[in-house]
Amino acid sequence: MNKQMKQNENQERREFLGAMAGLGVAALGMAEPRLRAAEKLIQPKATADACILLWMAGGMAAPDTFDPKRYTPFEIGVPAGKILCTFPSIPTALDGVRVSSGLENVAKVLDRGSLIRSHFMPDLGNILHSRHQYHWHTGYVPPQTVAAPHIGSWMSRILGPGNPAIPPFINIGQRLEGHGESEELKAFTTAGFFGGEFGPFNIPFPADAAQSLQPPKGMTPQRFESRMKHWRELVQRSPVGEKTSDFHRDSIIRSLENAHRLLHSKEKAAFDLSNEPESLRKIYDTGRFGQGCLLSRKLVEAGARFVEVTTEYVPFLHWDTHENGHTTLAQMKQQIDRPIAQLILDLEKRGLLERTLVVVATEFSRDMMIEGVPGSAAKDQSRAKADVMGELKQYGLHRHFTGGCSALMFGGGIRKGFVLGATAEERPLLVTKDPVSIPDLHATIFTAMGISPKTAVEVEKRPFYATEDGKGQAVKKLFEKSV
Amino acid sequence: MKYLFPLLPFFFLPTALMAQEKPVDFIHEIAPILRKHCASCHTNGTYKGSLSLDTREGIVKSKVAREGNSKGSDLIRRVHSSNPEERMPPKGDRLKEKEIALLARWIDQKFPWEPGFSFKATAYVPPLRFRQVAIPGGAGHPIDWILLKHYGTNQLAPPAGISDAAFYRRVSLDLVGLLPLPAELQAFSSNAYSNKRGRLILQLLEDKRAYSDHWLAFWNDLLRNEFKGTGFIDGGRKQITAWLYSSLLSNKPYDQFVRELLLPGADSEGFIKGIKWRGRVNASQVPEIQFSQNVSQVFFGINMKCASCHDSFIDTWKLQDAYSLAAIVADKPLEIYRCDKETGKFAEASFLWPELGKIDPKAPRQQRLEQLAALVTHPENGRFARTMANRYWHRLMGRGIVHPVDVMANQPWNEDLLDYLAEYFKKSGYDSKKLLEHIASSQAYQSRAVMLAEDPGTADVVFHGPLLKRLTAEQFIDAVWLITGAAPKKIDAPLGKEPPPAAGLIERQMVRATMVHSNLLMRTLGRPNREQVVTTRAETLTTLEALDLASGPIFHDLVLQGGNRLHKSQGSSNPRKIVEQIFLAALSRLPVESEVQSAVAILGDNPSPETLADFIWVIFLLPEFQLVG
Repeated sequence: MNKQMKQNENQERREFLGAMAGLGVAALGMAEPRLRAAEKLIQPKATADACILLWMAGGMAAPDTFDPKRYTPFEIGVPAGKILCTFPSIPTALDGVRVSSGLENVAKVLDRGSLIRSHFMPDLGNILHSRHQYHWHTGYVPPQTVAAPHIGSWMSRILGPGNPAIPPFINIGQRLEGHGESEELKAFTTAGFFGGEFGPFNIPFPADAAQSLQPPKGMTPQRFESRMKHWRELVQRSPVGEKTSDFHRDSIIRSLENAHRLLHSKEKAAFDLSNEPESLRKIYDTGRFGQGCLLSRKLVEAGARFVEVTTEYVPFLHWDTHENGHTTLAQMKQQIDRPIAQLILDLEKRGLLERTLVVVATEFSRDMMIEGVPGSAAKDQSRAKADVMGELKQYGLHRHFTGGCSALMFGGGIRKGFVLGATAEERPLLVTKDPVSIPDLHATIFTAMGISPKTAVEVEKRPFYATEDGKGQAVKKLFEKSV
Repeated sequence: MKYLFPLLPFFFLPTALMAQEKPVDFIHEIAPILRKHCASCHTNGTYKGSLSLDTREGIVKSKVAREGNSKGSDLIRRVHSSNPEERMPPKGDRLKEKEIALLARWIDQKFPWEPGFSFKATAYVPPLRFRQVAIPGGAGHPIDWILLKHYGTNQLAPPAGISDAAFYRRVSLDLVGLLPLPAELQAFSSNAYSNKRGRLILQLLEDKRAYSDHWLAFWNDLLRNEFKGTGFIDGGRKQITAWLYSSLLSNKPYDQFVRELLLPGADSEGFIKGIKWRGRVNASQVPEIQFSQNVSQVFFGINMKCASCHDSFIDTWKLQDAYSLAAIVADKPLEIYRCDKETGKFAEASFLWPELGKIDPKAPRQQRLEQLAALVTHPENGRFARTMANRYWHRLMGRGIVHPVDVMANQPWNEDLLDYLAEYFKKSGYDSKKLLEHIASSQAYQSRAVMLAEDPGTADVVFHGPLLKRLTAEQFIDAVWLITGAAPKKIDAPLGKEPPPAAGLIERQMVRATMVHSNLLMRTLGRPNREQVVTTRAETLTTLEALDLASGPIFHDLVLQGGNRLHKSQGSSNPRKIVEQIFLAALSRLPVESEVQSAVAILGDNPSPETLADFIWVIFLLPEFQLVG
């Protein structure tokens, strides 16, 4: 590396540092891997300061949610091939735009954001949810030769915390132990090569979030303070290494002080759902996802940078309907409808929506007949196969469809009352205009957050980009103003 | 993959229409054109017409390209020109129209360049074969003789030595991963044998169980072996734990160890099988290419990850090299993909250094693997021994002689030292324990730890003793378990048979962190997922880790158990005695008076389970506890 480049890099790093709100956590951003000073890389002007990703884990069927098609009610003897979706549609705040019934509340706030009906995923030849989820969350299809960071870790690494007392990347609602594919989930729920500092702060149970920033159970605050006091004293009094500074030693001292600050900050209240009005809590409380939505609002308000709230991926549960799709989706919509709408309204009311990007996304859609895309080699994984409907459990979109999928974006500079793209009216329900790939959707998110999709870090001496090979392109139409 | 294509044109139509505005990709679109048509005359030391295309600066200086103006650029004019005086290249094939259009677009976009990229090869070429290093005769350790010259050149005094207790702590953590017990430490310090440090090294290495438990983590990281994890879900991965563990127990010679990985039986085939994901994967991640990447990285410190997609930009390895190595393990003809696209060419099996011997591409797979195993461990393959010797040095000294350890093409800071260790390793019959003993018995190892104010990253560090090291997640947990008595009762690692007991005192007989499934605490502290080869762990503690230590339930529970246990065993002792015992157990030293004062203040006159827990928490969080000094 020549001298000029080194200088550029330093300069750029300084700029990034400048953008970080506080020292503390941010000061550690110096660790390997280093940001690369790409030639004349222009960082876009951010239209959002924070991002909330509402993750519909398990494959949310677009035709039964945000992209309804011709409705065929359940009846014994109806050929499966005739069924495109299993719910009637309802009008929304947007003229001529309809969504699936059960989403009445989100329908009313569609004028606050953009509905994308042309998101699509690559066909990976065989469906494994965790693999597609890895792809969506990191922007890279696994396996990869290096551990790819979660998109939240990119935010954390590049932008740092919005408030040094709040972890920049918070992950709500996903348990990482105790069920199928948990190892696969761990593989992308990580900062990867960025290192632990930029990893997720996991809150599997939002109602217990306050506990995660308390001194351990059974410890009084006074006792914890006394531990810290004596710890500081013993660090001071140690005859070992007291005269020389060492980066290992410094990191331990600094990190524990940071942790202590988190545990004692006034922002800690942001983790505590119990200090919200009961009436509001009731609106949100459709379960863990709903509580997570409320928590995400509080955290963003307090300065979190990136919060993911998931409906939680557990194989064959929630959105992952291999049978009984219709019945399950009615429940799932009930779970997400009120909280999502309320989150948007709440953010708006507090003047936060303008600078908070809310994204609703999933790893792929579902279909009654097709696995993957037409002609895919993907194995049929339906558990309620039937050519004609015989019983209710066969009624639902039980196959994983990658050729066309819906996503929503609100706030943070995103155009209001806009529908992007479309899918075919008849099977196969492929995207017919304005296709948006994962790299492009990520590029849109990064751009809104003021990060160029070409931003790269150097890993093992080669560049690793925020979007695959730096090629993601922000969807310009999705922005309110030109970016 | 083919079934996808009918759909693609439809999807990508909008992108194709935007092609004009699309930014060029220097690395994937431009560099290959320059390499193919221009590099032989204008890069890497040959600069005909004084034109250097090595770097962007070179092009700017030459004025052959003008930013944003391809039409006015000499480069474009000449590749078009039919005038024999002007045309480029002067002889042979002309550039294709498509290539010229790309170059023009690139110039119109002000010819972006890959930061740090140069066509000029780095000056250093790592030698392949072994080299004898002359060591002056007489007393003294050969490593120290070599370093004497190094200290001289750098005008440094040889580093100061460390105390017996500090040595015990370091060497025990480094060789068997455990803190010394207070009783062992006291016996050692008061013992007046000659060469007692040498004896201690041997004694530690002879503890097969402790040694194997400790090094299992290193090898699991390196060979991507785990007891559960990604890929196991649908049979796409196979662990080699039983084979690996028994190889460590028997201190299997490293060359034989590697031969068994490359030419495996049922119990060691997991390594070359790699991890197979359900569904289509990028061509650079099929199991054959994983094999190529992992053989290169693990045994030679060569990064074949770049070259498995296109010719490497960071060293001299080519796409063909990556595929030739992969073809050795392939069951059927292996088509070469460049950047995930078919090339229509098929790989022919060959080894990285054909000068060592040939692989017969026509031979059956088993025979090719036999040939490979022989070439990798070839008696003249110095790269094989150097890479591993460097890894062991790194583990003990905190930093490689070549650093980072996975870039063995970098120049070692002391070639004599590396070549000597490689030669020693080979002569010992690739005896890992012998090599570890040899390093640990040097003055260099037994000298005071070097503190660095800043993480040096890949910058040069002038050797002046071992660097401070952070305990690995497993070492840290073991140390905590040793003091709290909270180790689990059962081993999770499927070893196939009961391991032998550890040597020495009863406290050392505990189940070790390396032998059980990872948990959230270990993960936080840096035990990796082991989907990729890992050769170095993070050296610093992060806030999220500290948070887990400050308020996480797993650690909290360990500390409470420790408080209870200590209360039962020592609760009635005088607080000062307890403090001394814990200091010895945790830090391998006695406290100074001011530390006693602090510690006794935590414990109170009548230590309770709670105050004891508070005290050990404070100790566990001390930098001194978490580091090997």
